Amino acid sequence: MNAIVLSGIWGVVMMFAGLFLKSSKQIQWTALLGIIALLVVSILDYQAHSVQAQTYFGMMTIDVYTSWFSILITACCAMYLLIFHKDIAAVGKNEAEYFALIFFVMCGVYLLASYSNLLILFLGIEILSIPQYILAGSDKENIKSNEASLKYFLMGAFSTGLLLMGMTLIYGATGSFDITSEKFVGQFEQLSSMSSLSFVGILLLLISFGFKVSAAPLHLWTPDVYDGSPTAFTPFMATIVKVSVFVAFIRLFHFSFGNVSDAWQIAIASMIVLTLIIGNVTAVYQQSLKRMMAYSSIAQAGFMLFSIFAVNSTLAYKGILLYSVVYSLASIGVFAVIIKMKDYTYDGFNGLAKKQPVLAFTATVCLLSLVGIPLTGGFFAKYFVLSAVVEQGKYIWIVVFAVLMAAISAYYYFRVIRSMYFKTGEAAMHTEPTTWDKTLLILNAMIILLLGVLPSLVFG
Amino acid sequence: MNIYQITFWILSLFTLAFAIGVIMSRNPINSVLFLILTFFCISGHYVLMNAQFLAIVNIIVYAGAIMVLFLFVIMLMNLNSDTEPQKNFLVQFAGVVSGGALLLIMVAAIKSSLTGLEGKNIDLINSTDIGLIKNLGTVLFTTYVFPFEIASVLFLSAMVGAVVLGKKDSALKTAE
Repeated sequence: MNAIVLSGIWGVVMMFAGLFLKSSKQIQWTALLGIIALLVVSILDYQAHSVQAQTYFGMMTIDVYTSWFSILITACCAMYLLIFHKDIAAVGKNEAEYFALIFFVMCGVYLLASYSNLLILFLGIEILSIPQYILAGSDKENIKSNEASLKYFLMGAFSTGLLLMGMTLIYGATGSFDITSEKFVGQFEQLSSMSSLSFVGILLLLISFGFKVSAAPLHLWTPDVYDGSPTAFTPFMATIVKVSVFVAFIRLFHFSFGNVSDAWQIAIASMIVLTLIIGNVTAVYQQSLKRMMAYSSIAQAGFMLFSIFAVNSTLAYKGILLYSVVYSLASIGVFAVIIKMKDYTYDGFNGLAKKQPVLAFTATVCLLSLVGIPLTGGFFAKYFVLSAVVEQGKYIWIVVFAVLMAAISAYYYFRVIRSMYFKTGEAAMHTEPTTWDKTLLILNAMIILLLGVLPSLVFG
Repeated sequence: MNIYQITFWILSLFTLAFAIGVIMSRNPINSVLFLILTFFCISGHYVLMNAQFLAIVNIIVYAGAIMVLFLFVIMLMNLNSDTEPQKNFLVQFAGVVSGGALLLIMVAAIKSSLTGLEGKNIDLINSTDIGLIKNLGTVLFTTYVFPFEIASVLFLSAMVGAVVLGKKDSALKTAE
């Protein structure tokens, strides 16, 4: 609860920092101070809620699981800000406002992790989305950035409309927005007594969530938006924001709609198949690494959807926690290398290993983790979400399909490694990495490797 | 049929007619004007349900502010039939099919959820005073005070964003 308040307040602090602090360095330090404070506060929140869950205003229920997730996601955001703070400030003139918007997004993240009322879900999704529309268009001179912002805004507004329509129908069927209330729980106890209004409501919510996590066939905005946005903001959108929507997704569909899973599991299953095949196969044909990472984030979303699919499985919760952290850190690590480069195509990475061995090494670890090679965190992340489905025992063939798709993904991830290590070239740098950057990237890679050996560290 | 039902049917008829007018008229200005009329009819429905506050807000915000904004934008963009993009027949067909399927599902859901209610008289009129401003205010500042406060973060971020996008970068550079 305190994290929600602090993230909102620190957004305002950042706005004032832009007014009073003249140097860009001071503004960046204020932001870093804020995210560290947020991390401390979320750890204190966790200690306060580790014994029993607490409900605030009948709107939010904070328990061990949500407060632990808040710590993990804040830690990922801290890593993101530590690595990217200079690049964020370099995007445009309004650096303080960019940081303010990031803190507002964090407020939405905490809301999505702990809501127990559909109203808060709506507010959380909007607080999450609106700053992103602006961050996507913050490079005002660049026409691709403008396109990304407008496209994201129009499509996002439409999907919000569907979300609201779904909530309205569910409210019509249950008479309550509170997902813990008797009316709400009673409606979704069994499939036969469920009103057809809630059936359509669930479907519309599914579509809207699917849009936000960029699951196919609602993924069409993703490549253009992630590619067009300034490279400093793309990792933020693709990791922290996306996984927090997944946690909101799992919260509603497991806790509330878990008993009526027959109504929506087949829809999720087809989403998974489409997402995996479109994400992975299209990523193979990309020439730009940034665009490849956009498609890779679609493909990874397909794997994360497995945790939604496996209802009532404790492995699914573990899986989504581990997947969130590992995927976020690995993507941040790859983007941290991309942003240092002048040329984003594969050829631009030729010979990077000779010129910048540290960058090449950390990127390799992150890419291996994204493939899911053993000894990196990505292996256990994929293992947990897939074994959750096996444990559930339905649609086992999707697991086989997913493993096949992971093999395809190896092709385009290894292509980057091949460019860096086995090809000769210039590998022109946009900015030279400092020792501080390298230390952070090595730390990031070490965490990924550590989670590959001891995945239980993120289970709390 | 009492006076409420007669008003309800007349309003519904007008709402539908105007709504069809919005999508059928070739001139975007006419479309917007039709939309304003639709909003007025919906406000009439709110009054019938004893939600006067909602009716007034609907007229002020939607029919007033937002529609004026719409008109401005359309006049600035200078739309006419030449600038209308050529749409692929296949895309149009897919749109019609998917939109129609969604409509079918919605109508079927509403229809089937009404089956248990036959013979029951749902008296919406005057049965509740929840839509009055006093009750609305009480609920907003007691039960829903947390979402009310959290909404301020949403509006603040939207405001920050509007300033960030609207401010001229180059003007700032010369000022320094």
